Amino acid sequence: MISISPNALATGSDPSFAKKLDLNNLKPEQVALDINNLNLSYGEKQALNDISMSIPKGQVTAFIGPSGCGKSTLLRCINRMNDLVDNCHITGEVNLHGNNIYNKHVDVADLRRKVGMVFQRPNPFPKTIYENVVYGLRIMGENNRRKLDEAVEKSLRSAALWNEVKDRLYESALGLSGGQQQRLVIARAIAIQPEVLLLDEPTSALDPISTLTIEELINDLKKQFTVVIVTHNMQQAARVSDQTAFMYMGSLIEYSDTNTLFTRPSKQKTEDYITGRYG
Amino acid sequence: MNKWFKSGSPWIWLSAGGVSLSLISVLGLLWLIASRGLSYFWPSELYQFDIVDEQGIEKVVIGEIYDREQIPVSQLAHLNLVLDPQQEVLERLLVKTGNRELVNLDFRWLLSHNIKNTLTPDDLVVVERRTHGNFYGYIDSIVLDGKIVTTQQLPELLARVEDFQSKIDQLQKSDIGAINYQLERLRLKTRKYQLNNKLTADVQAAINSEINQLNAQYATLEKQLLEYRQDISRDHIIMRAMGGELVTINFEHILKVTFNNRLTFIDKTLLFFSQITSFLVEDPREANTEGGVFPAIFGTVLMVLLMTVIVSPFGVIAAIYLHEYAGKNALTKLLRIAVINLAGVPSIVYGVFGLGFFVYMVGGSLDQLFYSENLPSPTFGTPGVLWSALTLAILTLPVVIVSTEEGLSRIPSAMRHGSLALGATKAETLWRIILPIASPAIMTGIILAIARAAGEVAPLMLVGVVKMAPNLPLDGNFPFLHLDRKFMHLGFHIYDVGFQSPNVEAARPLVYATALLLVTIIVALNMTAVSIRNNLREKYKMLEH
Repeated sequence: MISISPNALATGSDPSFAKKLDLNNLKPEQVALDINNLNLSYGEKQALNDISMSIPKGQVTAFIGPSGCGKSTLLRCINRMNDLVDNCHITGEVNLHGNNIYNKHVDVADLRRKVGMVFQRPNPFPKTIYENVVYGLRIMGENNRRKLDEAVEKSLRSAALWNEVKDRLYESALGLSGGQQQRLVIARAIAIQPEVLLLDEPTSALDPISTLTIEELINDLKKQFTVVIVTHNMQQAARVSDQTAFMYMGSLIEYSDTNTLFTRPSKQKTEDYITGRYG
Repeated sequence: MNKWFKSGSPWIWLSAGGVSLSLISVLGLLWLIASRGLSYFWPSELYQFDIVDEQGIEKVVIGEIYDREQIPVSQLAHLNLVLDPQQEVLERLLVKTGNRELVNLDFRWLLSHNIKNTLTPDDLVVVERRTHGNFYGYIDSIVLDGKIVTTQQLPELLARVEDFQSKIDQLQKSDIGAINYQLERLRLKTRKYQLNNKLTADVQAAINSEINQLNAQYATLEKQLLEYRQDISRDHIIMRAMGGELVTINFEHILKVTFNNRLTFIDKTLLFFSQITSFLVEDPREANTEGGVFPAIFGTVLMVLLMTVIVSPFGVIAAIYLHEYAGKNALTKLLRIAVINLAGVPSIVYGVFGLGFFVYMVGGSLDQLFYSENLPSPTFGTPGVLWSALTLAILTLPVVIVSTEEGLSRIPSAMRHGSLALGATKAETLWRIILPIASPAIMTGIILAIARAAGEVAPLMLVGVVKMAPNLPLDGNFPFLHLDRKFMHLGFHIYDVGFQSPNVEAARPLVYATALLLVTIIVALNMTAVSIRNNLREKYKMLEH
């Protein structure tokens, strides 16, 4: 059973984030992603029910909810990773810059360059640390050594990993610890300069100290990227996010700024969940 | 007792027993072929037996002991031997006596009962010859250009002959061979012009002048060859055989003269290794029963390498399609089952297929299209090393497909997703991430394919292997690698030497030696592949997901 301590809630409001956004009436330039009437089913099973929400630019948005509520599925809709699942059927829109990413003419590889993703378990490639970071750039056809070197240093610094690995860039990435691997994967994702970074329970396979490092990193990342994070750890959502969406049984129950959601939830279900009555 | 059963130890003993049994049989097999095969190269003692046969006639037999066996006295009743009634078995010796010009058989059985005296005289020699096998006996005299000289001169004379022989070989095989090859090409060129109705007088004249030039070269080389032939047959040796007959052997035919009984242990060891070396690097002689097996080694290795080069890309591509692109439906399942079952088809069936499809259909059409000038004699429309490699590639294709697919399915989906999420397409992910990680599994498939293909003989007999190939598939004449040529193969060599040769008894040790060599080569090929795989494994070591 999880209960939210007042302490955790206090850290939820970022001091740099003074004025609250009205999530229902965002100006177009404030919106990173606009999801409209999104439905998703795996064969017969309906996994997402008519989701509509706007994710603001340059902020951290968290999806919380009990296991199987569809939060990871929703996240995977944003970079179309669900395309890899057999008999997955999607209706509705996800708009990036006002263009529906489910439009027929959209190049999926190009979309995924703009919307990066980090998975639950660290998945570095069995290559050197250097080659892991430049993988996305090489795919884009960048082979200029100097540019790659620069990108490696910049990305590893942004992912708070540079100091730990700068002397062994050409050693296998599999020799790193779990937390380092996860930061390497983040560095790999941001090396191609995406607009949105999707984090799918990025700390669930890590120890508490690595978790703390990653959470600090997320705070830094929102200066450059829009971050969307899925977590089933409510304290984590409270600590790192600006907005939180609570999902239950494939539906979006409540979506508001983190502080409000955790202190004055408007729906009974949300309150039951955050006070630990189920989930 | 019941408790002992419950503890599980009987099962441990049983399974350990199973392992030991297989270990013992493998070691036993290796020991048998190694000991029999290697003893062939060890210089054996030369014996002189004084015997009195059943009719009371005294004789002398000279030779090496090849085998001994015990036979029951009852089987020898017809000989009316005078024996101790207590005695139930008699020993019988198999002696290699050689001297084929005097007696037809190389071997004879001697009853130890008849042997009155066994000697190992120092003066006994064995003369290894190019034709007619070994000669055992005493040196009577050595004749150098009509004058009798001492045995001191022997090494010098042998070296001289060897020198001439290598010159003759060089002249015959490389120089004259190249001229013949060019003449043949010119003939084909003329024929091609004829077929296309473009044979003008100019062209004919140009070709004729080339032919004349080559013929002139040929004439000088032939003259040179005749001179060498004359020089090499200058000296001869007169031998005294076991019956006291004098036999003259020309040095031209002699490879080696050895006083086996005078050799020290070190001499024998040196001789042992030099015999092994010549077995490995020389061509076979006398219907494959003597000499080396180099063409067979070369043919086996070349064919296996060609097969690997053909089967690896095809198998990997097929596995990628089946695993990555084909829809997951009943048809794909059916295809997969069909591929797996292909591995169970008897290999001779592949041979029949290779002969019908590759040799007659594909090869025949190739001949019609590109080598019509050579018809009716076929170029590719006849068994050859290319068709053998292709047939074995089809035979081993299922193995490569199955292990590659297994490797592909073992790769965690996190790897694919990681790459796809970075904006890579499926093809880029396959090429940059999946295939490198799957490479150890692909190598496993290739290792299994090599192991199966290198030992396969039956299909090859239909699609390219011959008892004796005049030329290697690789030589100095353009285009250097002649894929249309027939080749020799160690597996077939074993069969041929052991069961098809005129002198099966003499060839038996050679069978073991060749078998040992075949095993060694397959193990060496496999070890190379295994070490490549281990390197790849180390490089792409997977996370313990």
